[in-house]
Amino acid sequence: MDLTAHPNRIALGLEGSANKLGIGVILHTGSSLDPSTSTVLSNIRHTFVSPPGTGFLPKDTAKHHRSFLVRIAKQALSAANVSISQIDCICYTKGPGMGAPLTSVAIGARTLSLLWNKPLVGVNHCVGHIEMGRAITGASHPVVLYVSGGNTQVIAYAEQRYRIFGEALDIAVGNCLDRFARTIEISNDPAPGYNIEQLAKQGGRVLLDLPYAVKGMDCSFSGILTRADELAAHMKKGGKAPDGEPITPADLCFSLQETVFSMLVEITERAMAHVGSNQVLIVGGVGCNERLQEMMGAMAADRGGSVYATDERFCIDNGIMIAHAGLLAYETGFQTPIEESTCTQRFRTDEVLVKWRK
Amino acid sequence: MATDTGFPCSLTLQVPFPNARLASVALQALRVDKELSSLVTRHFTTVAAAGGPSDLQNVLQIEYKATTNRMLRVAVNSFFDGLALVLEVMEELDVDVVEERQKAAKTG
Repeated sequence: MDLTAHPNRIALGLEGSANKLGIGVILHTGSSLDPSTSTVLSNIRHTFVSPPGTGFLPKDTAKHHRSFLVRIAKQALSAANVSISQIDCICYTKGPGMGAPLTSVAIGARTLSLLWNKPLVGVNHCVGHIEMGRAITGASHPVVLYVSGGNTQVIAYAEQRYRIFGEALDIAVGNCLDRFARTIEISNDPAPGYNIEQLAKQGGRVLLDLPYAVKGMDCSFSGILTRADELAAHMKKGGKAPDGEPITPADLCFSLQETVFSMLVEITERAMAHVGSNQVLIVGGVGCNERLQEMMGAMAADRGGSVYATDERFCIDNGIMIAHAGLLAYETGFQTPIEESTCTQRFRTDEVLVKWRK
Repeated sequence: MATDTGFPCSLTLQVPFPNARLASVALQALRVDKELSSLVTRHFTTVAAAGGPSDLQNVLQIEYKATTNRMLRVAVNSFFDGLALVLEVMEELDVDVVEERQKAAKTG
């Protein structure tokens, strides 16, 4: 493929590894060897929201994605205003994520690839987040904190791999927050983490004691969740905080956020010191949390650096990041043959050869 | 149908398509994902319609075999979920359909 003959390259990306179905169209302009310009042509998302007190189950989520795939694809195409002949490749999330939702979206992506006679590109979801974050914020060589409902990783780039410096040993930080939202039965709309963040803003009177579980470069969140759940049960029985006042959901949300975000800031700072970087890029759904951005910003400022974050359009799972990372790989000659276009629930960030970076 | 020792429960599905191209697209889109259970095996082919021209392979044929009827039902239901999506994408997003819609949007 001679890319100099293609000054404009367009990819369609489909994402559905968790409860968001996202489809987007991206345009890359200029030589792929120079830093090329990325333009978002469309980025449409539809979220499967489960009732308060419940989480999203694979079967229901897969059904949601199948039901909305055609509708969202039509919206993404019409918003982008591109014809099929202008599209260079179809990108889909290969993993990691929930099996049934991933597979549903992959079936749709394969069908489009075959009908339109376009090459297919399988994308690592985490790499999608990182590349989109870099493209939007302009952070050139950041330490990346990737925090979402399914993943918690501190990552830095070295020698064509995104290397994992630290990660969650059990549940992801977002899973800890999501499950706590279920415990106190707050709404999952638009996202449980968002509603915890809003409640936490009303807290701050007391910081309830929760375990602080940093183990070297890694974190553990399951014990913190257990203790937070116990405190919630204590609250329901009219339990009092150390200051003698009744515990409120706001106190719990505030204390949970302060504790888990402090842990994330600590391991991120250690990775920054290790690689000698003063940029932090926060990606993933939990990355929209403004309190996390604020805490990380304070740490980065102390180190003479700054924090780079995006808003919900790019932090929360979306199709455009899959289109973008897929197109970067495609520009280096990478394709996924149809017969190999499987999905995988486990797909580590460092398994991907990042051929598009030096 | 001949029974297989260990896989006594079987079902053969035939899905006719308007043409061989669409039958082949469905086959390629659906056969990639492995059957999740080792208690089920399946085989995808495209065949000619009974009584139709033998060179027109416009029927998607899937032969399922399973250890129990329950496993067979689970596998076949899951196949139909995937098939429904493939059919909807074909109906709404095939090249000619999209082009027609974009042309209509421009003139309308």
